[in-house]
Amino acid sequence: MSAADPIVETDEADMEDKAEDLPKQLLKDKHSKFFKHMLGLLPEAYQSHDSSRLTLLYFSLSSLDLIGALDEITDKQKKELIKWIYSLQVKPDHEHGYSRCGFFATDSLPESIDANYGHIAMTYVALCSLIILGDDLTGVDRESIVQGVRALQLDSGSYQCISFGTESDARFVYCAACISYFLNDWRGMDVEKATNFLLSIQSYEGGFAQNIGRESHGGSTYCALAALQLMGKLDAITEESRARLIYWCLNRQQSGFNGRPNKPVDTCYSFWLGASLTLLGAKDFINKECNFSFLMTTQDRYMGGFSKWPGYLPDPLHSYFGISGMYVISGEVEVHPALNISMRAYRHWQSQCTS
Amino acid sequence: MTFYADRPEWKDVTPIPLPYSENEPVVQIMYSERFKDVYGYMAAIMQKKEYSERALNLTTDAIECNAANYTVWHYRREILRHLQSDLQDEMKFTESVIDDQPKNYQVWHHRRCIIEMTGDPSQELDLTEYTLSSDAKNYHAWDHRQWVLSQYKIWDKELEYIDDLLSKDLRNNSAWNHRYFVIENSQGWSRETISKELEYAGAYIKKAPNNESSWNFARGIIKKNKMNYSDFPAFKELCVGMNESHIPSPFLLSTLADINIEEGNKTAASNIFEQLKDLDSIREKYWTFKQDQLQVGS
Repeated sequence: MSAADPIVETDEADMEDKAEDLPKQLLKDKHSKFFKHMLGLLPEAYQSHDSSRLTLLYFSLSSLDLIGALDEITDKQKKELIKWIYSLQVKPDHEHGYSRCGFFATDSLPESIDANYGHIAMTYVALCSLIILGDDLTGVDRESIVQGVRALQLDSGSYQCISFGTESDARFVYCAACISYFLNDWRGMDVEKATNFLLSIQSYEGGFAQNIGRESHGGSTYCALAALQLMGKLDAITEESRARLIYWCLNRQQSGFNGRPNKPVDTCYSFWLGASLTLLGAKDFINKECNFSFLMTTQDRYMGGFSKWPGYLPDPLHSYFGISGMYVISGEVEVHPALNISMRAYRHWQSQCTS
Repeated sequence: MTFYADRPEWKDVTPIPLPYSENEPVVQIMYSERFKDVYGYMAAIMQKKEYSERALNLTTDAIECNAANYTVWHYRREILRHLQSDLQDEMKFTESVIDDQPKNYQVWHHRRCIIEMTGDPSQELDLTEYTLSSDAKNYHAWDHRQWVLSQYKIWDKELEYIDDLLSKDLRNNSAWNHRYFVIENSQGWSRETISKELEYAGAYIKKAPNNESSWNFARGIIKKNKMNYSDFPAFKELCVGMNESHIPSPFLLSTLADINIEEGNKTAASNIFEQLKDLDSIREKYWTFKQDQLQVGS
């Protein structure tokens, strides 16, 4: 065996700070500032995120919720946020029926434009955000959302994200499952078809891919497992497949987790794999200390937030998944592993949003 | 670059300004003046459903400002259909966007739509090969390549391409996955093919015993096809031989544990799990569990 073939490949050489200098805890005050800032004005560099602007809101709110800082937002501001989210809901009309229904990502193009459609991932994060903010979902036009979801399922059982025709993969099956669950209405999904699709994307490696024949991936593995759990179909995975899946997921841990074999570890996979292993009842096999130490190397101790890799700038996605990944694994704060919101928000949904 | 607001040929269009509030901002992006200009006109053009050459050029600018705007891409396709545009230009345009943003979902989807319109996949293998030459694991490029291969049944050169990629990086898991994909969809997995492929993977395993990718491939082609290790004695011999040479590899040991369990040798499997607790200590709890499971099953 040569030096070029290490047993465990880590990125420790890339770390800029010495391990002993790093904070040994989640810097909640820094993260709170980071996300409260995000709720307001974002620099020009975020223009390329305009089409997923609502996800920025969700990442910020869910992070603040998990670190216990949601009360730092005033009630007045919460009302503004709720109002803005509802302003992105697409109403059914004569020409399109329900085909455009769901939520827009942003308000930069008006609803009056025919080519402007709701996006299933935005509908999912809109509902999450409303629930986190304590809304009771009475402003949601349930029928239009359910019919909008229904319009997105393909014959294969998979989902596209917009009904005018887009790519389709496990991400959008996941969104459809979450929306159906939140609205307690599964008319938007042929569950049997969706289950068969999800089972078909488990690759020879044991993990799940975005589509049939593609490479197993931590993100798609999460989407498939969480969707199956919400659909009540997790048992459809055979015992043998489940064993290989657990082994594949556990092998993603190097220090933190990577998303595919021989790829570098990356902050967000703490959540994707941590939550997947939780759903599989195999969370206890995770080496929590190693994962925690890795996350300490991507936590930005000056600005707050997390980066993808040590020494890089923090961004909203990795910041959120750094926090939720840490908590889903440690259990210090309860996270709903399938819906990807806090258990506090989940309990609010249970008591206030289920009609 | 001149703003649309200052161009005489756009005088007939009244832009729709973006809602923008610095007073009550909600994840409010501070759009540049150019972004506001372009999207103001983009909204107006989409509103009046103008499908023209100038509208097409406007979508180019709108995509340059934000290549993730799926609405603009969709509208661009509507324009292309209306104008019956030369799609060779569109191929070049998508290539430049891919070159600039190789992980953008919308441009890859657009590219697929264009191929469906032309029915000509002849440039796709070169395009994806080019993209993969700078990032050999780009999921989008692999997705596109695999879609093209299945759609147009062009399998003949793929194994050669994979050989080339693996000779450059034997840890390229995407290339291993592609090997599975190509064989599955072209010749299929006969017992003979599995044997041959185990030999192929075995050579790489010997070169780098701690390469998860080649191990996953070897074990995957047996298990996914519902076969047993005992069906492939040469592969078992390889594993046993490596173990006798004391090559430290958790993947080797866990494969040997599986082989032993399959053969009913629980004591041997338990000893291997004991070694794994030490050699693969990050997963110590898992190996302890696997060891305990042997007792439960007896």
